[in-house]
Amino acid sequence: MSYQYTQTFNNRRQQNWSRNKNTVAYVSNIKLGPVAHTVIVALMITVLGLVYLTQATKATSYDYKTQQIDSQIASLNTQKNDLQVENARLTALETVKNSSVASTMTTPASTQYANQQ
Amino acid sequence: MKLELQKGSRSKILAAIIFGLMTIFVIRLFYLQVIQHSYYIDLANKEQVKRLTITAKRGKIYAFSGQTPVPLVMNQDVYTVFADPTETTNDTAIISTIEQVAGGNARTNLQGLLNKKDSRYQILATKITLAQANMIKSKNYSGIGFQAGTRRVYPEGALASQILGFVNDDGLGQYGVEEKLNKELTGENGLLQSVTDVNDIPLTIGNHNINKPAVDGVNEVLSIDPSIQSYTEQALTAGLKRTGATRASAVIIDPQTGKILAMANLPTFDPSKINEVKDNSAFNNAVVSVPYEPGSDMKTLTMATGVDKGVVDANSTYINTDHIQVDDVTISNATLGQTGTITLQHAMNWSLNTGFVTVAMRLGDGTSITRQARDTMYDYFHNKFHLGELTGVEVSGEVTGTVIPPTDVQGNAVRYSNMAFGQGMDVTMIQVASAFSSIVNGGNYYKPTVLAGRIDKSDNYIPNQIKTPTHPIKPSTAYQVREMTHIARTTNFPGVDKPGYYIGGKTGTSQVIKNGVYASDETVGTYLGYGGTESTSRYVIMVQVSGDHKKLAGNYDAMPIFTDISNWMLGYLNIQPKG
Repeated sequence: MSYQYTQTFNNRRQQNWSRNKNTVAYVSNIKLGPVAHTVIVALMITVLGLVYLTQATKATSYDYKTQQIDSQIASLNTQKNDLQVENARLTALETVKNSSVASTMTTPASTQYANQQ
Repeated sequence: MKLELQKGSRSKILAAIIFGLMTIFVIRLFYLQVIQHSYYIDLANKEQVKRLTITAKRGKIYAFSGQTPVPLVMNQDVYTVFADPTETTNDTAIISTIEQVAGGNARTNLQGLLNKKDSRYQILATKITLAQANMIKSKNYSGIGFQAGTRRVYPEGALASQILGFVNDDGLGQYGVEEKLNKELTGENGLLQSVTDVNDIPLTIGNHNINKPAVDGVNEVLSIDPSIQSYTEQALTAGLKRTGATRASAVIIDPQTGKILAMANLPTFDPSKINEVKDNSAFNNAVVSVPYEPGSDMKTLTMATGVDKGVVDANSTYINTDHIQVDDVTISNATLGQTGTITLQHAMNWSLNTGFVTVAMRLGDGTSITRQARDTMYDYFHNKFHLGELTGVEVSGEVTGTVIPPTDVQGNAVRYSNMAFGQGMDVTMIQVASAFSSIVNGGNYYKPTVLAGRIDKSDNYIPNQIKTPTHPIKPSTAYQVREMTHIARTTNFPGVDKPGYYIGGKTGTSQVIKNGVYASDETVGTYLGYGGTESTSRYVIMVQVSGDHKKLAGNYDAMPIFTDISNWMLGYLNIQPKG
């Protein structure tokens, strides 16, 4: 694609202060009619729509990932809680009292204190 | 060339039809999209936007064991396994798996349930854990579903069940701490409003999404010590066997803080098996909810009133004839024979009613229980020792009891002479034990509490501040009355306590009013005492035993239970004896 000089003009400010640099504007040789304009606008809208849809779908896919992670967290929390309950049961007084270790313990005949009052 | 449709041509007719159709479409669309806009938006929101409740977790309840909070009540996610009998195909395998995995939580006659082909919902197992549910899910049986739920679990079984209470099927706390602190324990449900897909998975699209997180309930830490509670329940059980009583209660308080270390009643219940409880009175915490005539335990408070007002002391004497006249009523001692000029210490040792009626008289003009004496007694009993009013302890069902004021027509001299030795008034054990604590701690009244603190979201223990005490009596009064009860115990029950400790107490044997009159075949035995060193009392224990048509005494029936717990407490609290 080639362009040709169509106009040459001097900026008024540059007339006084710059080194005579010219500003150049180009005009394309390709002329677009109303149909082409309409098609281009329609295509642009379509592209924008596709971009929007892509992003919306992408966001929704994150929702599913989030949901999966949330479910995983909930499941792990439930497992953790179940283990805490089991731990509490295993360390409960009744369990300890009935343990084999407790059954072999005896009451001391007398107790002496290091710092007798 | 200029194209024109000819008038009346088919093309023109077609154009008119199309125009007409388009007009109808436009009008219809205008109606649907503009006029009916709100209606369809609401309809779409109802279909697409779901409001999901984020359930707040109910707070756990801990007890303070030494330096470590241990859980007494926890939450557990559980699942109900159900079947759609019209969809199930491999019944034999399903039954085998359910029985193997769910064990005792599986329903009986599973084959019968699966044979009900006219039903689409049959429960096969309840209260199974996540691990069990996953094992069943892994089999991929058709027609089998799961419903998630939460239940309260009690790792310590029936321990302290009347303090804890339980949660009913509607999620409401019933009895005990669960009811009293229901609001704090429940928390606040959150809300998730969002567009969802067909599987109800929330999506971030939409303009009306709300995500309000749930605020979980407070994790409360009780002042109850599980070891002390367990031993107390064990001692009460042994006491019932020994005495033949059918009901027993005990409360143990730290007199230096007002914290309740144990509070037990028999019969009791297992909060995980409330459906098996046949008598609902087992749910009651009698220590706070059953008022009774305190009997001779009250003599300690009468003595404290007299000493504090400066009208008597332990060595004050009176002439005991075993009877004393108040207006037109003669009051007698339960124990006869200690006649002559005796001290009030002697009257305390033998629990002589006449001695404490004498104290009441000396609060007046010395010969009768005047209005001034009654005003003083009421001021001490009700306003200072807080008998006949709620203590505010954080368990449900507390009652006030009754202490009739002198302004009441029934608050006469005879009534107050009876109140001097614990009759003619209704109080609860928690009121009496709290009042007595102020005698053994040097004159400070602490409101009793079962709460030690709470556990925050980061699992840090946040202790409650100890409430500022009131001062019902002077320290000198407290020391003197404490000494009197120490002498009373060592005189009457020598050798029962571990040597080297400072133990004291007072027996109480109360009559029971049945159908408006004192029953001749029933008494309630109590013992109210303390233990520790001479400088510091570490615990106050109050024990009560009773039973329908059973005559139970404080010295024979309740005192041994006190001794059992007290001797154990000395070792458990690691209190060193005086060498």
